[in-house]
Amino acid sequence: MMVKTDTRIEEQIREIFSNDAPWVTIVWDDPVNLMTYVTYVLMELFGYSKAKAQELMMKVHTEGKAVVSTGSREEMEHDVARLHEYGLWATLQRGDQGI
Amino acid sequence: MKSEGFKRHGSNSYVAEFAANEREILINLTEQIIELLAERIDHGQEDPLAAMVGITSHDSPPEDEVLHRLLPNAYQDEVDSAEFRRYTESTLRSKKQAHAMAMRMYLKSAEDGTVDLEHDGANAWLGAINDMRLALGVRLNVQERTQDELELLAPDDPMRGVYVVYGWLGWLQEGLIEALMDEN
Repeated sequence: MMVKTDTRIEEQIREIFSNDAPWVTIVWDDPVNLMTYVTYVLMELFGYSKAKAQELMMKVHTEGKAVVSTGSREEMEHDVARLHEYGLWATLQRGDQGI
Repeated sequence: MKSEGFKRHGSNSYVAEFAANEREILINLTEQIIELLAERIDHGQEDPLAAMVGITSHDSPPEDEVLHRLLPNAYQDEVDSAEFRRYTESTLRSKKQAHAMAMRMYLKSAEDGTVDLEHDGANAWLGAINDMRLALGVRLNVQERTQDELELLAPDDPMRGVYVVYGWLGWLQEGLIEALMDEN
């Protein structure tokens, strides 16, 4: 017998069982924050190399935004809170939500 | 402005000398940030138990544009944002106040104008200077105005002085970051 599952329910079930489904932290471009400052904050908070931090900063600068970290929702909330503490413009969302 | 900005001295020391008027401007700005953030603190109506564990009655973003920029939304979705704000905004406020208070302490105790920061102190300064720049940036409307427009502000424009301080803070911040990155 074929059981037709509602895709919405399927999605909810998947979410319950995979509570570490990837979420992302996004940093948005801001005309105030200096490029060197954004680079420094990314190095300091995430332990990124200077090269990686600069690459992410350039992406923010040229494309308007960049994903700077990926993980569980709780981890991303922590990252966003730390970025806000240092004045970067950051939000979090589900990784599959279209960035 | 006379200061030459921060220079690295040894492995964990970043030193700058400030003229009396520069020190005064910086102290004044730290106090304005501390006061501005305090305006957001709830008075009276708060549930004391909730306040004790850091939950505030704030779940909507600040109406003041500067405060909104200092305490931004964490989600693009308003409902998620409100929930997050209720549980985290007071912590964010105290952390920002702590940065500004640390910076103020350094300046207050630097009677000869010489400030000597270690790594953590430098990070507090960077965060506090950035909050000042964000606040001044909102007042200057840097979102809408181009750099050229700001450069061309007339000498008698009241925003001219704000722009000079805004630029100087950026220069000071950049110098401190260069000194910090020097060690790598």
